[in-house]
Amino acid sequence: MKVQELMTTKIESVDSDKTVYDAIEKMVDRRIRALMVRFPEEKLNHGIITARDIVFKVLAKSLNPKDILVSEIASKPVACVDKNADMNEVASLMEKNKIARVFVCEGEKIIGVIALIDIMAGALIMRARG
Amino acid sequence: MIFEKILSPGKKERKVTDNMRRHIQLLCAACDLFRTAMEKDDRNLMRDVIDLEREGDSIRREIISLIYEGAFLPYLRPDLCRYVEIVDNVFDVLGDTAPYYLDGKIPEQIKSECIRIAYFNSKICEMLLITFEAMLKGDDLREKTLAIRIYEKKIDDIKFSLIRDIHKIPISNFWDGKILSEFISGISAISDIIEEASDHLQIINVSMK
Repeated sequence: MKVQELMTTKIESVDSDKTVYDAIEKMVDRRIRALMVRFPEEKLNHGIITARDIVFKVLAKSLNPKDILVSEIASKPVACVDKNADMNEVASLMEKNKIARVFVCEGEKIIGVIALIDIMAGALIMRARG
Repeated sequence: MIFEKILSPGKKERKVTDNMRRHIQLLCAACDLFRTAMEKDDRNLMRDVIDLEREGDSIRREIISLIYEGAFLPYLRPDLCRYVEIVDNVFDVLGDTAPYYLDGKIPEQIKSECIRIAYFNSKICEMLLITFEAMLKGDDLREKTLAIRIYEKKIDDIKFSLIRDIHKIPISNFWDGKILSEFISGISAISDIIEEASDHLQIINVSMK
């Protein structure tokens, strides 16, 4: 199964100059665990911030999320795969890099995101198809 | 073919199962057509969806008549009829939603998400056909119905995000808003009904054992 079949095309994002608290609010409102980070000024203009980053880099260290910018803890560059990449290929990439989501790209443009749960869903659908 | 073996494998039963298969195949074709019509913004194709709904209706009538003429054991008939009615309900929703597409204009901001729902609708329908075939073979349907629930959940996620997005779209008059709202309700209801149909197949499958 190709990643484009199950990827999420609606990508929630936050600007790099916003605070971590802004990102937390958005993640809680949207019930999601990661946000794409936009770095409008830079050439490599996409990053990612996850609940894991927020907990380990900010909250567990008793830092104030309102004082820290998203750009300070976001990961960059993001892992990207082609929309025609196979789910198994992406699973290997996730395992190798210990990540739970990978962006799907068409050239330089990000068109979707595929998470670990989508890989599981894809595998279950393939089993059902027989 | 446990389904047919256990339950009086006569000509009538074969005719019913063949028609039930044809009914789902036609539904898959209608869902595919709906999706292609949206992708290509082809209004003629969308009109064809309405024709397929009528064809689905005639297959439903044929199946119900055959069942009440004596196909299958009596205790199974209500469940089989109910299942056929549920599948027909999907046709009705597709047939009712197509005119909303023809009457209105989908705003660019939500077009790709609507196409994504139409895409998943055709996939979930394909999975219903796989589930039906598995039932005829007497296979366990657990994995098939889970796949249907996965697709349904995907569509639900898109639906919630769409609902958030449409709040930001300015609506110039009541009818434009109503048409858009009905269109979104329609395309996102299809997966719920297909899920109900798959649950019913599971009931039929269990009741045969």
